[in-house]
Amino acid sequence: MKKEKKAFAFRGQYLLLFVVVLYGLMFFVDAQSAQLAMWKSGSVLRKILPIFAFVIFFTSLLNFFLKPKKITKHLGRESGIKGWLWALIAGVISHGPMYAWYPLIDDLRSHGMRDALIVVFFASRTIKIPLLPMMVDYFGLMFTVVLSVYILIGAIIQGMLLEISER
Amino acid sequence: MDKKQKKQSPPQPAFSKVLQKSSLSFLAMAPLLLGVIGLVGLFQVLVTPQMLASLFQGNPFLDTLIGTMSGAAAAGNPIVSYLIGGELLDQGISLYAVTAFLLSWVTLGFTQLPAEVAVFGGRFTLYRNILSFVFTMLIAVLTTLTMQVLS
Repeated sequence: MKKEKKAFAFRGQYLLLFVVVLYGLMFFVDAQSAQLAMWKSGSVLRKILPIFAFVIFFTSLLNFFLKPKKITKHLGRESGIKGWLWALIAGVISHGPMYAWYPLIDDLRSHGMRDALIVVFFASRTIKIPLLPMMVDYFGLMFTVVLSVYILIGAIIQGMLLEISER
Repeated sequence: MDKKQKKQSPPQPAFSKVLQKSSLSFLAMAPLLLGVIGLVGLFQVLVTPQMLASLFQGNPFLDTLIGTMSGAAAAGNPIVSYLIGGELLDQGISLYAVTAFLLSWVTLGFTQLPAEVAVFGGRFTLYRNILSFVFTMLIAVLTTLTMQVLS
């Protein structure tokens, strides 16, 4: 049987077009704000380029060393408690904005990662390890600890609720 | 001989090939990611910290809801949410509202919604965001109540 090859296709062209039109309109209404918005977008892009590079490299490593069967074993239906823990830890240590991780999660999902674990990953991302000292400084140690514990528990419950809704 | 044939698995592709494939998958998503980054820039200019701070009313329940919605509307580094959150506390805004604001800043985002729908589908995005919205409010209330008990 001939193997079907997935054709290359861009995703989100309409969103990009919509944003370009928005910028175009904004240049007519308030050119200074539009320029500032473009500069801010450029600054965001510069900051997350290293994260994009990491995501590409990490996705390649996973695809090179882990066969889809293994990914399903660790993050799929039969992953058990380990899968939940992996998702929690990955969420906590992952850096940068949520959308920077979409390509990797999309890839893992296509290899069998269950949706509940994606929810856990995104929910636990509220804990930012590099920013914890700053949070302690602003809101106190007790607040930071209490909030972090509730975030982790909440992330697991959200994943479980999604799983129940899918049955 | 049969046994030997059975054991043969497809050859492992070279890492460079895998890297190339991953780069292409990422490139396919480039318009989506650039669109989101463009929206983030626009929101950072249009939704200012002063505007967000002016939304709060002084009513803990309503402010928790406003905190959740304004955190979702804002875009940028979470450090900014700490700065605004600290300012809001100084202005007498409740800890319920500030906690909800800090949480929704990271987990909810109007700017990333179109991309989330395109990548994960409408159903998953709807469920995840509803769960995230409800849990943001719930965690904000539980954290504040726990803080009151502990102090």
